[in-house]
Amino acid sequence: MSWKPEVDEIKRRRELALAQGGVDAVAKQHSQNRLTIRERVDELLDEGTFEELGPVAGTPVYNEAGELVSYDPANFILGFGKVNGRRVIVGGEDFTMRGGSPSPAGLRKSVYAEDLAVQYKVPLVRLHEGSGGSVGGTGGKGSSLPGPVNAPSRFRSVAQAMATVPVATAAMGAVAGLPAGRLVASHFSVMSKSTAQIITAGPAVVERAMGEKKTKDELGGWKVHTKNGTVDNGADDERACIEEIKRFLSYMPDHINQLAPVLACDDPIDRCDASLLDVVPRDRRVAFEMRKVIKAVFDEDSFFEMGKGYGRSQITGLARLNGQTVGVWGNDCKFLAGSMTADGAHKARRFMELCEAFTLPIVTLVDEPGFMIGSQAEKEATIRHGTSAVLTAAMTTVPWAAVMVRRSFGVAQAAHYGPEAYVLAWPSAESGPLPVEGGVAVAFRREIEAAPDPDAKRRELEEMLAAKQSPFPRAEALSVHDLIDPRETRPELCKWLARVQPLLPDLLGPSAFAIRP
Amino acid sequence: MTKIELETGGSVWKLLVAEGDIVEEGQTLFILEVMKMEVPYEAPQSGTVTTLHIAEGDSVAEDDVALEIG
Repeated sequence: MSWKPEVDEIKRRRELALAQGGVDAVAKQHSQNRLTIRERVDELLDEGTFEELGPVAGTPVYNEAGELVSYDPANFILGFGKVNGRRVIVGGEDFTMRGGSPSPAGLRKSVYAEDLAVQYKVPLVRLHEGSGGSVGGTGGKGSSLPGPVNAPSRFRSVAQAMATVPVATAAMGAVAGLPAGRLVASHFSVMSKSTAQIITAGPAVVERAMGEKKTKDELGGWKVHTKNGTVDNGADDERACIEEIKRFLSYMPDHINQLAPVLACDDPIDRCDASLLDVVPRDRRVAFEMRKVIKAVFDEDSFFEMGKGYGRSQITGLARLNGQTVGVWGNDCKFLAGSMTADGAHKARRFMELCEAFTLPIVTLVDEPGFMIGSQAEKEATIRHGTSAVLTAAMTTVPWAAVMVRRSFGVAQAAHYGPEAYVLAWPSAESGPLPVEGGVAVAFRREIEAAPDPDAKRRELEEMLAAKQSPFPRAEALSVHDLIDPRETRPELCKWLARVQPLLPDLLGPSAFAIRP
Repeated sequence: MTKIELETGGSVWKLLVAEGDIVEEGQTLFILEVMKMEVPYEAPQSGTVTTLHIAEGDSVAEDDVALEIG
């Protein structure tokens, strides 16, 4: 007798797994303009590359004769695949079963995702739509045995994954509980504006506990979470989220012991963009667009901004110089004058930790007036978050280049220059302990008050001190490496990158400090 | 119809166009004062200023529509 009956049963279970929650549940998912998890995986991966792991894990139901009468596949899909020819691990809840709340086998597969990524040293992509456990227990029966005291911590591998491989996660639908925690335990996170919400607990739980009546979108829609830093980016829909994840991964190595891929570059390294000569207005009060500087300096269309809606006085992202990935960090003087706020400092710290973890050189475009001041800033503990950013910079080992575009003041400016940074100054650069406008009013208070026209005296002093802000003395003293024509920024940074590139292999491996969500 | 939305709050320091004006892409439309910085807003496209929602001296908030270009 052959093994034909078992083989037939394997085939049947595989087919049942592909049916997901059934025709009606899939139709309902589609009617709400959401893809199923298998469709999401297909969108992400190169065609035909998905190698599923544990496809027949699930919950069988037998009759008294021991025959299988029904079979619920695990509601978490997991496997290997390729994105633009490079390996990834991909996983996500199947919302068409149990609303994404983990079944026993689903939970096992979900928490295996990070283990796999660490074991195989392959980037991890999570596509979430689901919630945490229910009071009925993962089996829905309320009778499963609680875990033993010596069970390994479920979150250890979540942290280890972040210290080992790039982790990119999308919220595709409603995400709550454990999946919400894993969503933010990522180097890059994105949410679908049209279909996703991220909530620690849903409207029913919130109303029961707090008496607060809110919809899912009011609690955790994109308008809330792209502005508070819960996710890095928002994208119009699920497909746009997947495109963002693919783009992020294109800049990254597979793991911390590998350098980021270097692409062929059509953009000449000696290109001098004429717009840089007058991008910074001579009138010190007039704001300018730092993103125009970024666009003019880095490889054409290579800037991928992360966290645009949050900590907006700081601009962070990834870009390329001569095809090589670098972290880019600039100030945006249109927001709170570009000052270091508590949320901007948090964003900057995460950015530096990402670059340090994956050995990406950092380029800063500095226009930092200092820590944000005022009662709101004090309430937000700006000095603590800001100092955290400053000390993170001081502890990094990756190469830094800093371009002093305009202002560079106070303790906060130190965050923009890592150890042994290569510093280039534009003629518009100004630096010191604090900006002239604030400093004059304090340092010359008596002199101003004694003057016949205090306002005129203050302006006169400000102008006199501003004139002393000439960039030449810094270059003469070798306190910057060079004073440059702004148009030379790209060629100069490309030369710097070629000099530091040979140092990068020795910097690979675990970073001295872990990256935190 | 393009709505010019404000990226931050602040006050309207200078308004450089009026309803009915023809503007060119890149032309400065108005200047906000935000934290002692002057923040110019440029026309993202050429067209006619069809509706103006701000006046000099107004206090404005993030996401407010400043004007519309048709």
